Amino acid sequence: MMNTSKQRVLTALMNILLLIYAVFALFPLLWMVMISFKADTEVFTTTFIFNPTLANYKEVLFRSNYARYIIDSLIVSGGAVLVSVVVGVPAAYALARYNFPRKEELAFQILSFKFAPEILVVLPLFMLYQKMGLYDSYIGLIWVYQLISLPLLIWVVRGYFEDISVEIEYAAQVDGYPWYQIFFKMLIPLIKPGLVSSALLAFIFAWNSFTFPLILASSKVYPVTVAITKYLGTDTARYGNLAVAATVSALPAIIFALFIQKHLVRGLSFGAVKG
Amino acid sequence: MARIKFENVKKTFGKVYALDGISFEIHDNEFFVLFGPAGAGKTTILNCVAGILIPDEGTISFNDQLMNLVDPARRNVAMVFENYALYPNMTVYDNMASPLRSKLYKTDENTIKEKVNGAAKMMKMENLLERLPSQLSNGQKQRVAMGRALVRDPNVFLMDEPLAHLDAKLRNAMRTELKEMQASLGSTCIYVTHDFMEAMALGDRIAIINKGKIIQVGSGDEIYYMPTNEFVASLMGEPQINIIPSTIKAEGNKYDLCFDVLGKEISMEMPVDEKVMAKIDELDLRCADIGIRPQHIQYSFEKIEGYFKATVYSYESIGNKSVIIADCGDYQIRMIAPNGLRVQIDSDIYISPEVEKSIVFDSGSKKYIVRYDEETVKAFATKQEVR
Repeated sequence: MMNTSKQRVLTALMNILLLIYAVFALFPLLWMVMISFKADTEVFTTTFIFNPTLANYKEVLFRSNYARYIIDSLIVSGGAVLVSVVVGVPAAYALARYNFPRKEELAFQILSFKFAPEILVVLPLFMLYQKMGLYDSYIGLIWVYQLISLPLLIWVVRGYFEDISVEIEYAAQVDGYPWYQIFFKMLIPLIKPGLVSSALLAFIFAWNSFTFPLILASSKVYPVTVAITKYLGTDTARYGNLAVAATVSALPAIIFALFIQKHLVRGLSFGAVKG
Repeated sequence: MARIKFENVKKTFGKVYALDGISFEIHDNEFFVLFGPAGAGKTTILNCVAGILIPDEGTISFNDQLMNLVDPARRNVAMVFENYALYPNMTVYDNMASPLRSKLYKTDENTIKEKVNGAAKMMKMENLLERLPSQLSNGQKQRVAMGRALVRDPNVFLMDEPLAHLDAKLRNAMRTELKEMQASLGSTCIYVTHDFMEAMALGDRIAIINKGKIIQVGSGDEIYYMPTNEFVASLMGEPQINIIPSTIKAEGNKYDLCFDVLGKEISMEMPVDEKVMAKIDELDLRCADIGIRPQHIQYSFEKIEGYFKATVYSYESIGNKSVIIADCGDYQIRMIAPNGLRVQIDSDIYISPEVEKSIVFDSGSKKYIVRYDEETVKAFATKQEVR
């Protein structure tokens, strides 16, 4: 009797705590969405009652280049993830399977791309990009985004490859399969959870990247993260438009994440555990 | 259906010689067993035949055709891996069908179904076909791995301890089945094991491997009765052969075998066997290791004339019989005894080795010199090879 009532109190307490956390985490988002429906005059009111308007959405989505910014972001982030997958999966395979001198150092070097803050490397990169003609180009941004997406992908997928016993590949060879079929038919299905989840995370990180596109791109390539700042004028901040831009820019990542939520949790923890 | 020939094959991993100049030839349709302790290089040989490993030196040929640089896929070999190597994302049925679905060995689905069901029936696992490998026990996985090899009609079957994880009853049944199947398929088979019973039962010929070298190749009886050195002798047979370090004293036509038991020198007259005596005279042999199988040791717990005294070290049952180990000072003597004896540890035991059934080894090089009844044994052991 004591036990069950005690347990009930405990569960109730936990639920309250979770609720507080949920409000804490979601309230800013909610507020952002609310602002996006408010007219400029009402932006600073702190009540939940207001006259909803779609003026901000019309302004941002139809009367500015916002759609183009979204497409730019999709091209750059999607391209970065694509390059990372094409380069990273074979690299991860090599790091998992072959022994070559300084293998661990190389793997660590790849990981170390993520160590330095972006702001630290962005200035020299800016100068290099100016000289090389990569400044303000899709290729330039896709390239620099590899610093964000490639290490993540290689390290996750490498763990998955290491978990597959090499005899499975031998068995497939003996069964008469050529190497490309072994790779695509036997190995890719086995690493798929890791590949999907790390690719998604890489996409989100690339999408949210701000420092690189801010400094390495200007007019021709304009990802949303940078575009949002346009609504912060020198004299006024147009909060309504800003909220719309932020809300819309958060959508792709949320949609993707919801789609493969299951993979995400299972995928990242699966490769690491041996056995 | 292939003759397989290894010529001076060498393979190193880093600085370690996994194979150190291996040469042998496997006949068509032969059941060839590779037998040796762990780490001897047995699996490396299989991997070289399969093409998974490429030898550093030497040649491998199938039917006189050089195979060194041929892809594993194009060698047409079927292999059972020690750790099963099943495809985790496929059902048992698909696993077994996989070789027949590859580009090279493409077969129509009806034939596949027939073959897979046939193999499944033989392995007694028709009820497992829809499962995934993760839902199988180790013994079941091993049977699937066997099944995947058996659906094919390859040049050679390569089996890496395929029965190791089965329970004893199934293992015995499969052993018989395997032998029968190999004979009826008419296919060459290379079989790796570290179980000497399996080696003896299955092998047309057995190759003893140790430290990357072939120590001896021959029929099971040849290897059992005329082991090329003490290592082979100790490998074949359970319990292990007894090796008694001795000296031989010759006086005219009389030869005395002297050895040390618990600090006392025992002297026995050696039974006369022309060949043995001739060999002793020829080599002027004074020091020799005498190898006697445990079943050729007579013992008694009462004092008997001509038996020497030692102390009991242990007495343990190995199923339908027991093994007594007697302490003789620097070495021990194992002997077969019936079950259910009341044996006190450290009590006295009186022992008489049947020297007329022994094998004489060189005490320095540990190599085979001669054995009693060599002619008879030779005739008996080689009779099997003429099939």
